[in-house]
Amino acid sequence: MTTVLEPPTHDEPLDAAPADDRDFRPTPGGWAARAALPIGSLLVLFFYLNHFAPVRADNLSNGLIIAVGALSLNVLVGYAGQISLGHQAFIGIGAFTSAYVISQSHQSFYVALVVAALVGATQAVILGLVALRVRGLYFALVTLAWGAVSEQCIFLLKGFTGGGAGANAPKPGGFTTDRAYFVLVAIALGVILLIDWRMMASKAGRAMQALRESPQVAANYGVNVNAYTLLAFAVSGFYAGVAGALYASRRTTVQAVEFSFASIALTYLIVTVVGGLRKRGGIVAFAILFELGAEWLPDLAKSLGLPRSFQANAGTYLQAVSGILAILTLIFQPEGLGTITGPIGKWLKGERFHLGHGGGGGAEGVNARP
Amino acid sequence: MLGVTLVTPIILGLVQGAGFGLVAIGLVLIYKSTRVFNFAAGEFATLGAFASYHFSHGFNILFISIPKLGLWAGAVAGIAVGAAFGLLTERFVVRPLSNRPKVTVLVATAAIATTAIALEIVLGATKSFRSGALVSGHPFVLQGVSLLWQELIVIFVLVLAGVGLAIFFGYTDLGLATLATSQEPTASRLMGIRLNRISMLTWGLAGALGGLAGVLLPPVTGSFFAAYGTTDLLIAAFTAAVLGGMTSVPGAFLGGILVGLVQNLALSNVDQNHFPGAPAVAVLVVLIGVLVVRPTGILGREA
Repeated sequence: MTTVLEPPTHDEPLDAAPADDRDFRPTPGGWAARAALPIGSLLVLFFYLNHFAPVRADNLSNGLIIAVGALSLNVLVGYAGQISLGHQAFIGIGAFTSAYVISQSHQSFYVALVVAALVGATQAVILGLVALRVRGLYFALVTLAWGAVSEQCIFLLKGFTGGGAGANAPKPGGFTTDRAYFVLVAIALGVILLIDWRMMASKAGRAMQALRESPQVAANYGVNVNAYTLLAFAVSGFYAGVAGALYASRRTTVQAVEFSFASIALTYLIVTVVGGLRKRGGIVAFAILFELGAEWLPDLAKSLGLPRSFQANAGTYLQAVSGILAILTLIFQPEGLGTITGPIGKWLKGERFHLGHGGGGGAEGVNARP
Repeated sequence: MLGVTLVTPIILGLVQGAGFGLVAIGLVLIYKSTRVFNFAAGEFATLGAFASYHFSHGFNILFISIPKLGLWAGAVAGIAVGAAFGLLTERFVVRPLSNRPKVTVLVATAAIATTAIALEIVLGATKSFRSGALVSGHPFVLQGVSLLWQELIVIFVLVLAGVGLAIFFGYTDLGLATLATSQEPTASRLMGIRLNRISMLTWGLAGALGGLAGVLLPPVTGSFFAAYGTTDLLIAAFTAAVLGGMTSVPGAFLGGILVGLVQNLALSNVDQNHFPGAPAVAVLVVLIGVLVVRPTGILGREA
């Protein structure tokens, strides 16, 4: 069987007219190739989960949780044009709420997930109330200080977290193994992606984007600036609460030290930026790549015969490199990994493959005015 | 009894506040000249602390090995590394992004902090380091609290930096040129001011001030570690700068002292067991209070 990877477009001029694209229908071979990509990816995933030790599945779950957290940040930074440098508060409060509901109130994981999402949304809205008064760069400082308050105060409250040394959050029945839990996390990510996609296609999504470009202009067009700013915070906090609850049960013990500025707020911001603001596919792809990199780099360093010190620090080097990658993304390619995933998504839907037509959202990466 | 819970935190607050002020003056310097919020400022200090520690104790990293050079050489190295890091940041990150929204630059400086923190973890793992005071011993005892020479040095250096920068902005052509570029870059360029030079000057100076804070503060506060500047200094320094309206050098100076006092009074008067993290909460309250009630800061005008 011959696999056709590209529809026969080689004799077309490169700058094909849009009208031509509109009439474009893939050949049966083209459709086969389009179907082969997702099916192939699923097969690779299945092989990856079953062939390697369960800990690989657990780490891949972490990649998907980072994706949910980064999507939460994307709502604020990408859609609404608010900056958050305190996302360890968003994620951590979700995680500790979930642990509290499971181990102190003795409810099921699913109840805890919903409560964590709602509590996450509530704390985000409270922060959003400040954002109505304090805009732009100054608000970034407030989020930074809020993150510090969560780390040094909220996560250590004995009544809420048991002092931060470890709150229990067992995995739910039926998903107690690492591989099964991965499936649960994947479903949750799928639901979040669906919500995000539908929200951005709605009036609320367009209103948020208008806010990002200019709150004044948006207000002139009848957008309720305050309401939609708060909505953006609520949605972001909701996603973050889900991410936190998933994180809690993945670790089964929630510790305050894991929710630090460097390991959550900065890392998630960088995943969001490199993945591409307003580019769901890019964000999920880079979150997974980031986790896989952290996981396989030590093995790779070992097989290449690099010094032991490098092997031990491989994950840290990855963090250093992703910081630099984020700067390069901001300077040269504001759409991030979305530059690649956008066209692939369009190709899968039956359009031609055009690199650089990721589409929509404006060219500027982070766009908000102080 | 009142003296114990008041005098100790006030003295500690003054000293720590002086350190915050030093970093805050660097933030103000950068904001005044390029209108950028520099979230890498804390790491300027951490890298300065690491450099001064490693140079004074000698190190052997990868292929470079440096012998034990002593505390003063280490201090110079710390300041130099801070300045160099500031200059690198300006050249490779801030300048290419100079025409972009300021939030983009903010995110980029946060990315620099991430990279710097990762490098520090490689250099020093997650250990805490104790660096030696430049001058040891304590000259006098005040209300039962013995002051260290190092603490006096920190306050003295802050006063020196504050006065120096106030003179720089108030009375020199270069200072005036720096202010002019922030307000009207195009016109300033037409008047013959080299924007890139000004930008390099302020980032280098801010880096050096950060490095200086990293050299001077850890011996007073106890220890430093990877991400020390971002976790322990950055928020306080930004709050100090905001208290000064982001543009006032004397305001940042006073703001630093005020934040140091607020943090230490909160720390020593609130029971950590019942209410952990009182200093962080106090800083958040001060920050939101200033931003909502008096966004122009305590001194209220650009100076």
